[in-house]
Amino acid sequence: METATYTVLLLAAAAFCYRLTVGPTLSDRVIAVNGMLVIGMLAIAAYAAYEGAGAFLPVLVVVSLVGFVSTATIARYIERHG
Amino acid sequence: MMLGEILLLAGAVLTLLSALCVARFDDVLLRMHALAKASTTGLLLGSIGAALMLTNANDITTLLLAAALNLLTTPVAANLLSRATYRSQGIATRLEGADLHAGRVNVEPSEAD
Repeated sequence: METATYTVLLLAAAAFCYRLTVGPTLSDRVIAVNGMLVIGMLAIAAYAAYEGAGAFLPVLVVVSLVGFVSTATIARYIERHG
Repeated sequence: MMLGEILLLAGAVLTLLSALCVARFDDVLLRMHALAKASTTGLLLGSIGAALMLTNANDITTLLLAAALNLLTTPVAANLLSRATYRSQGIATRLEGADLHAGRVNVEPSEAD
């Protein structure tokens, strides 16, 4: 079950990498980076759950808030400059 | 313990589905739709699963706080980004049905602030 979880997350990261590389507009790349942030958060949660070590869990809170602020900032940039 | 693993795997599978949709769909707003719904649900499921597997109260509350924050901020971020994409000049978006904001696309965003 542990290997399956990490493998699924790796496949999802590969799909987001494809969109990050190809994506024709800036919005596509922002979407891909957001998805990879979600994958990183899920990977930290899975690591903490399977190892029983919750030392990295506050990183989840920080990543969630920083991801929101960065998306809002880039949205303002896209709205002004297209 | 087993339920936590199943929920964690379900969250990962939902995130994989959203990643496949982001890679496959052919319009910016469609991709944003797929990412916003599926990855939020996936992260929520995964966090609940991990919280079921952990025993320390500090770890569980931190996980649930992160899940609640993500549940609150992701729709707002997706709304901001999709509105910016819709209003920007250089990105072509395709809408199904009536475009209720068709007359307001060319409003200068700099007038708002």
